Amino acid sequence: MLKLSTLLLAGAAAASFAAVPAVAQQKAPLSILRVIDADNYDPIRTTATAAAEVMYMLADTLVTVDFDMKTIKPGLAESWTVSPEGTTYTFKIRKDVKFCDGRPMTIDDVVYSLKRWTDPANKSPVSFRGGPVKDIRADGDSTLIYELKEPYSDLMFQLALSFASVVDKAIVEKLGPNFGVQGFNGTGPYCWSKWTPRQELVLKKNPHYSWGPPIYKDPKPQIDEIVWKVIPESNTLMAAIQAKQADVTYYMPYIALDTMQRIPGMTVQRQENYIYDVFMGFKVDKPVASDKAIREAANMATNKEAIAKAIFFGKGQTLPSLLNPAVVDYDKSSADKMPKYDPAGAAKLLDAAGWKPGSDGIREKDGQKATFTVYGIRNDSNPRIAEAMQADLRKVGIDMKIQLWDATVAWGKLATQEFDAFLMSYPYVTATEAMSLYFRSQQAPTPNRMNWKDPKTDELLKAASMATDADKRKQALAEVQTQLTEANVWVPLVSQPLWVVATDRVEGARAHGLYGAGLYKGLDLKLKR
Amino acid sequence: MLKHTLQRLLLVLPVLLGVLLIGFLLMQVVPTDPAQVRAGPTATQDVVQAIRQELGLDQPLWKQFAIYIGRLAQGDLGVSIINNVPVTQELGNTIGPTLELMLASLVWAIPLGMFLGTVGAYYRGSLIDRAIMAVSVAGVSLPVFFLGLGLIWLFGFYYPILPFTGRTGPLWTWEGIQGIILPAITLGGVFVGPVARMTRTSVLDELGADHVRTARAKGLSESRVVLRHTLRNALVPVVTLIGLQIGFLLGGAVVTETVFSWPGIGRLAVGAILSSDLPMAQGTIIMLSLGFILVNLAVDVLYAVLDPRVRGT
Repeated sequence: MLKLSTLLLAGAAAASFAAVPAVAQQKAPLSILRVIDADNYDPIRTTATAAAEVMYMLADTLVTVDFDMKTIKPGLAESWTVSPEGTTYTFKIRKDVKFCDGRPMTIDDVVYSLKRWTDPANKSPVSFRGGPVKDIRADGDSTLIYELKEPYSDLMFQLALSFASVVDKAIVEKLGPNFGVQGFNGTGPYCWSKWTPRQELVLKKNPHYSWGPPIYKDPKPQIDEIVWKVIPESNTLMAAIQAKQADVTYYMPYIALDTMQRIPGMTVQRQENYIYDVFMGFKVDKPVASDKAIREAANMATNKEAIAKAIFFGKGQTLPSLLNPAVVDYDKSSADKMPKYDPAGAAKLLDAAGWKPGSDGIREKDGQKATFTVYGIRNDSNPRIAEAMQADLRKVGIDMKIQLWDATVAWGKLATQEFDAFLMSYPYVTATEAMSLYFRSQQAPTPNRMNWKDPKTDELLKAASMATDADKRKQALAEVQTQLTEANVWVPLVSQPLWVVATDRVEGARAHGLYGAGLYKGLDLKLKR
Repeated sequence: MLKHTLQRLLLVLPVLLGVLLIGFLLMQVVPTDPAQVRAGPTATQDVVQAIRQELGLDQPLWKQFAIYIGRLAQGDLGVSIINNVPVTQELGNTIGPTLELMLASLVWAIPLGMFLGTVGAYYRGSLIDRAIMAVSVAGVSLPVFFLGLGLIWLFGFYYPILPFTGRTGPLWTWEGIQGIILPAITLGGVFVGPVARMTRTSVLDELGADHVRTARAKGLSESRVVLRHTLRNALVPVVTLIGLQIGFLLGGAVVTETVFSWPGIGRLAVGAILSSDLPMAQGTIIMLSLGFILVNLAVDVLYAVLDPRVRGT
């Protein structure tokens, strides 16, 4: 159920937005509202999107990703080449880059940061993203050699993620475990000023910065100070933007977006290429979920369009396939093989597979009820998504039991074998990343919670990962997508939308969304007053 | 009086120890895995295990508790397993804003509750009395978050005259005062009703007492009769109630601080629990329990001041 308070406040706001005069926020900082803080701001120690969304402002990466989420553009690296065998990447690093403290960035800083990220000794939860590293070294004062043991086609996209940010070795070593907690020194457009955990993070303009990526009109930051403010209660956040006590957010409850669009001067903008997908995965070795007919019927019986419309208030998009259409190597032909919404067809399929309706309406086969339990995190959308699916599946005689857990408990529970299916949402940048993360045998039991162990999948994913030719990679990934679509391992549900809402004080707010970072580097943003 | 105070003070120790043990055990029985939370959803089990070892969570429970108590005896509440900040430092940063908020709530809610209760009792059965009781029932029934959101809508949005997105400055500045008004009204709002009702009942009892009749017979003014001879005696149960309500106020502070993004200990507790930050959660539990215990101790002592008969008990 939608929170009553949300409905009340949104309703009241909708009825009275016209009465709101311009308010309070009149001076210096740009305030960005969000609902949660990160645990820390050390790029290699956190996987939180709440860290990434700030990290892109604090630090730079070798390369960047354009708003289309497909095109790699220069960052700290002006240019690059890849050896024919795909194992050696040579980057030409900019020479005009300075850290926030004014010290010029050297090639040693870049080597240090990337080694710190990829070195298994540092036990970073994101080190795998750097690929099978053989060596990272400098060649002269502006050339970086990134050498791999074997080709890794995902490398350029992974190098664009915040985990691969270049940081100042001196401050990392000086602060030790307090790096990214008590201080930070990066080369990003904004500098670390003060962090009060769970409350706010204050950033100041990097006065030296002029090397912004070419995806922006202006390579220099235009705002003197940015305050990332945490407002855990979404109703308060909504009211704060409406009352103009803050400037920008991309955590606006979906129910309020239409209201926001009607407020004069308010900018409400969608990132069409945002990649943050919701799906339900089946454990394929569990009694009921192991039956492909059950999985396929679940895909056919679930009204995904209704879920996208109702739960995301018309702002979500149905996920047509295992992967988001915006992602590189999305395969349209496998998407066409995804079962379409057809409850009658689902019932027929179950009949044919021997699942006969029992006296209580739930199907049975060989004394086994068509019942399975789904686990998930109790967030804003999962309860309603699960309930909608439960109702849909019930109509075809499948009993889906729902067990959602508080976020403190959920990850532990989702690492067990207690459940038959699970609801999950996640950001990603490439098809190789998403598929390899969830479907390689060695990733079981987490994050391969499906227990999908298939040599052919492993082989194809390895081929995709090692491909030096884009067409070959695409072909391998297309085969994986087809194989997994036909196996109905997932019920792809919704592509979560990203909407940036900005008040009339702000100019140049454009939704980006790489790994959940709505404003990415924060360039082109200006304050009108 | 001193003996009474010391006796009550000694009783605090076993209560505090019990709180420590229960707080520790509670955090253990919650089926959460801080290592998994910190590692994130995509981490493999070997990464999770490495983090578990790093945090000392692979040690037996008794050993973890012994280490915890040993550190506590030295005033060390540990460091946050999420961001490595000492727990005492975080508590130090947040206790001030919470006390500030509670004080700002009590400073208007107690006098108003007592005033309304006294007026209600004095005009017993009248329209004023009924109106006051209706307001106090509404106050008791209204959930804190609802009142908070209502005030945000009214004074932050519809008539945008007050900020509501956190502490806007120290309390001695104009910005600070503006920022605390809505949270203080919200938190104090739930306090007025119970105080008014208890004051009314207590004053009613006293108004019918012999010494009040005697005071009136002596020709004392009504204000003197009510304020000096009635209200003071009526205060004993009211003070007890206030003490108990302050405990509930701490609970209300958790909600108020969340709604208004107030950087207090309640919000810290919620954040720590939601992020499975065990040392921080335990630290906030200890601090909140200590607050509750000390308030009750103060009430016990005050009770003895107001009513000398209890000193010997």
